[in-house]
Amino acid sequence: MATLSLLITANPYSQQGQYSAVRFAQEAIVQGHQIKRVFFYGDGVLVASRLNCPPSDEINLTKTWAKLAVEKDVELSVCVTAALKRGIVNQAEAERNALTGENLDPAFEISGLGQLTEAMLESDRLVTFG
Amino acid sequence: MKSVTFIFNKTPYGSHSGRELLDICLMTAAFEMSITVIFQDKGIYQLLDKQQPDVLNIKNHSLTFKALPLYGIEKILVDSMSLANSPYNQEQLLDIAETAEPGAIKQAIADSDFVLML
Repeated sequence: MATLSLLITANPYSQQGQYSAVRFAQEAIVQGHQIKRVFFYGDGVLVASRLNCPPSDEINLTKTWAKLAVEKDVELSVCVTAALKRGIVNQAEAERNALTGENLDPAFEISGLGQLTEAMLESDRLVTFG
Repeated sequence: MKSVTFIFNKTPYGSHSGRELLDICLMTAAFEMSITVIFQDKGIYQLLDKQQPDVLNIKNHSLTFKALPLYGIEKILVDSMSLANSPYNQEQLLDIAETAEPGAIKQAIADSDFVLML
């Protein structure tokens, strides 16, 4: 069994990458592999907004990731630089940057690029979904 | 020590993937990892000297490539075939990389634990 990490740069609702990534993560766990960390970078961070509201007959990617985090203890890390640029903020970042609200889904956590490198050091494979 | 190869294969402008990959590269250099950087296909344009994206209000990240050797990254390769297929020669690129035959590029990739492209 392998330890895997995922790097996700795909825009959640414009590209297929996130759909593929979440299926990949679910199936990897079913097959007994461990997901060390899912790292969201570039447009991939947009999925971390709890305000994403796709039509009810389509998959809600934010909630699908969050379910994986809660039920399977998968760590969802969001790059702070990429997130701030795109308006994805938690309470602390909102206060630090004098913004009027926060929108980070609680299943995700804001972190830095060092968490991506650290994930590589502790994983057998890093799989990118762009 | 784990090894990682970064492949730059897209133009510097039009998308931010070059700059984003460079940021990962510099961060990784702070860790104990063996790093190879490859410029391939349109990625060789990342290394063109004297870029002026500031006229488009775009930050010039190309100069940051000069920092790669300072970060201890010594293996920086330009795909010779990509260079031959471009209108440029090595003198027009930042002086940080050496040209390598496709076979050597292929081997560098095969020897790496991780390969990143954006």
